Amino acid sequence: MAGLASPDIDADADQELDLSARPPSSWQTVVWNDPVNLMSYVTHVFRTYFGFDAPTAHRLMLAVHHDGHAVVARGPREVMEAHTQAMHDFGLWATVRKDPS
Amino acid sequence: MSERIVVLEISGLEALHLAGIVGQFRDLLADSRTGDDPAVSRLMPDAYPDDQAASREFRRLTGGDLIERRSQDAATVLQTLGADGGEPTPEGDPDATIAVALGENEALAWMRTLSAVRLVLATRLGIQTDDDHRPDDPRFGVYDWIGYRLDGLMAALDRP
Repeated sequence: MAGLASPDIDADADQELDLSARPPSSWQTVVWNDPVNLMSYVTHVFRTYFGFDAPTAHRLMLAVHHDGHAVVARGPREVMEAHTQAMHDFGLWATVRKDPS
Repeated sequence: MSERIVVLEISGLEALHLAGIVGQFRDLLADSRTGDDPAVSRLMPDAYPDDQAASREFRRLTGGDLIERRSQDAATVLQTLGADGGEPTPEGDPDATIAVALGENEALAWMRTLSAVRLVLATRLGIQTDDDHRPDDPRFGVYDWIGYRLDGLMAALDRP
């Protein structure tokens, strides 16, 4: 594990942080449409596992159903793999990919 | 056992059939080490569709745990049904209603198992699109019945 770097306060005092910048390595968990999983089930999984509110979970489920897939999470690769494993536990067709944008 | 959050009411005959199917599912998982069954493959899809090596590595790291959790889920379902997953042996009145009380963990085991059983049935039935449905084939009756029960469980769990 890396140690903490000591901040060089004087040199960075005027430097502004760009809070909207993407993390250097951004990955996605993607859920793909399949003809088997029920809409009520997929919505429930999205809501309870990811903690989305009901409208967000419903919107993502519809995106999977109509667009063929939806990005359900973004972040570090390890976390996206853990989400993908959890989706596989629920029988959802989930994959990991590097953020294409 | 966790606190009860939902009670399913099913007939004794349904419980017997369900226990038989979940018992078969458990046996399928136990025999899954050979890795050439498309139904088992569907339960652990490629995590990296464009990268076979990464998908293999992901499956190597997660596949065993996934099968183990699925087996535990199936065992939980059988236990809450009061069954051991062997051959169904009707006892008592098959028309009598059985109340199956589930806590949070049991409900999770039930929803994961019912959806997984549907995935296995769908693979066996060759369901690849929303239109692949043959009402005259009795095996679709089982598939639809499991879906009906899963949908009912979702409605019960989502009730505010």
